[in-house]
Amino acid sequence: MRKGLILALSLALTLALAGVGVAAPVRGVSDTTIKIGQWGPQTGPAALWGSVARGTGCYFELLNAEGGVNGRKIEYFLRDDGYQPNRTKAVVKELLENVGVFGFASGVGTSPGMAVMPDMIANEVPWVGTATGSTHWAFPPKKTIFAVYPNYPDEAAILTNYILFTLKKEKIAFIYQNDDYGKGGLDGAQAEIKAHGKSLVAEIPVEVTDTDLASHVMKLKQAGAEAVIMWVLPKHAAILLGTSAKLGFKPQWVACSTLSDAPLMHKITKGLWNGVIFGNFAELPDSTSPLMVKYKAAFDKFADKKSDHWGVFFYAGFGFVEPMVEGIKRAGKDLTVDSFVKAMETLKDFKGIMGRVTYAPGERQGMREVFIGRCGEAEVTTPDGKQEKMGQAVRLSDWIAVK
Amino acid sequence: MFFQLIVSGIAIGATYALMALAMVIIYKTSEVLNFAQGDMAMLSAFVAFTLLTENNLGFPAAFAGALAFAFALGAFLEFAFLRRAKEPNVLGLIIITLGLEMILYGLASWKWGSDQKDFPFPVSDFDTHELGTVVVSDLNLVTLAVALSLMLLLFVFFRYTKAGVAMKATQQNEVAARLMGIRVNRILMLTWGISSVVGAAAAFMIAPVDTLDPNLMWTPQLKGFSAAVLGGMTSLVGAVGGGFLLGIIENLFGGYVSVEFKSVVAFAVIVVVLCLRPSGLFARHYVRKV
Repeated sequence: MRKGLILALSLALTLALAGVGVAAPVRGVSDTTIKIGQWGPQTGPAALWGSVARGTGCYFELLNAEGGVNGRKIEYFLRDDGYQPNRTKAVVKELLENVGVFGFASGVGTSPGMAVMPDMIANEVPWVGTATGSTHWAFPPKKTIFAVYPNYPDEAAILTNYILFTLKKEKIAFIYQNDDYGKGGLDGAQAEIKAHGKSLVAEIPVEVTDTDLASHVMKLKQAGAEAVIMWVLPKHAAILLGTSAKLGFKPQWVACSTLSDAPLMHKITKGLWNGVIFGNFAELPDSTSPLMVKYKAAFDKFADKKSDHWGVFFYAGFGFVEPMVEGIKRAGKDLTVDSFVKAMETLKDFKGIMGRVTYAPGERQGMREVFIGRCGEAEVTTPDGKQEKMGQAVRLSDWIAVK
Repeated sequence: MFFQLIVSGIAIGATYALMALAMVIIYKTSEVLNFAQGDMAMLSAFVAFTLLTENNLGFPAAFAGALAFAFALGAFLEFAFLRRAKEPNVLGLIIITLGLEMILYGLASWKWGSDQKDFPFPVSDFDTHELGTVVVSDLNLVTLAVALSLMLLLFVFFRYTKAGVAMKATQQNEVAARLMGIRVNRILMLTWGISSVVGAAAAFMIAPVDTLDPNLMWTPQLKGFSAAVLGGMTSLVGAVGGGFLLGIIENLFGGYVSVEFKSVVAFAVIVVVLCLRPSGLFARHYVRKV
């Protein structure tokens, strides 16, 4: 009697498992759902950028409220890696092996991303829109990895060109974080200025742990720089502008898009950010484009206002993932890794809230344009009735593509 | 440029000096290196920030409140954690401070988040005075004044007050001090409280130039430690002198040799000092009196 029951049960179990096997041959994809993962620092020194990952969550809630993609709802798995590559590795292992996600959306940080790239390549995991402009993702191209963020050399070249020909300043200095991030920008600026037969008047490295930048500023000043391009952390940008103001050094400051949150930068620099020019990879917060208006409404509806504000890092979590959603949409009902990759390669001048995104076989750097903005000021009334100046980005140019 | 580098060095050196003072006070009495020093100060700065921006207190009240918090925090940590150590040795106690550092860091990240904040301060770093080509800001002058006056105050405290002498006695021989009727536990608690207040003062001076976030005091603590080793771990004057010296060396090195290695020069200095004069530049050679 009991033996028969066990036999029947195991038979039923086998059949059930076989049934699942037939319905879901692709990891993370069922008839009604797609599982997508992301890591992002929710704690630790880089937590400021963790809002990208929460933005993506908000984007998926919006899509699910609209019925999902091709009838499939997105199940989103956000994990905190604290910007520590070893934890990123653990997160990706867990999401691939235990949860079984189809792929990864965005993900903050160059070194966390670098730590998991070999696993992504080995397992052919779709991974779109890492939230950094490093060149490692797209060069050389890898089958399932798609970069969105305009890479740092491209952006630095565009900014350098803008300084030379629009601002008409020739003595350009470059101050950069002494790692992949900063050096990527430096390479682009050097190449661009060299192409016009000139060179940078100073190239000054900053270490992540530096807190006193007086001698850095003195060197910039001594070099007689008229414009200084910054490829540093928000914290260092604040110290840099403060120290320069004190020492009477007033060049035109130009910043990387990682520093494009104008209200935040204006606040932490005590207003010195006013007039700074910077690259932008996404529409400005007050943009009235239909998509931005729709996303803002999603923010109002779904986001936790306590931890997030409607700033560029939050809706970047929408923008970096738009191409991935478009790819899933174009892959249709029969979603596999191969059909997804094929669909992604059909994206040509795809336009969401960022610049145009194009992929092709052998081309994995989606976006190659930025636009220029400047920090202005607006008078606002704080909740307790005080008048206060707030930083506000002003758009100076159309999208500029790298030549 | 030379003089500006020196002046900037003294300005940043004053913050190192304050951190060095804070570390030396605890080291003097218990020979424990307090690795939680920086984050105790960071937490106090956050308390000041909250009192200023959320409770809308004025600067005197907010800073006084935060300093009181700092004192209570230092005393509490000694009472609740270090004193509980069973058969403590110096190494074990140092490890406890490392643990405390992580707890405090986590606490600050959880309570205030990790995004950068702007720390309001009554004195500006942009109001400057020019002496020829050399620029110095109001904030620099205030920091310098605070560092020097705290040093003087502590010097007087250790030399001329009963509590100060009791602290010294505790360091030299805890058992004998106890036998002489000194309440050693209470003395240690007081030490931690005072040290925490000095550290908090350093954080108030550093935060307006930097941005306020949980990583605020990480580098200043390392530099303060280096300055203390440079000047001699047991000497108050040495700690302050070491702070200034380190600031000046760093800036001159950055200005004339290499900006890239500016931030590591402090550690090279430590190695050299430990090889040539292990007791530090300003301290008399350390002899334990039995």
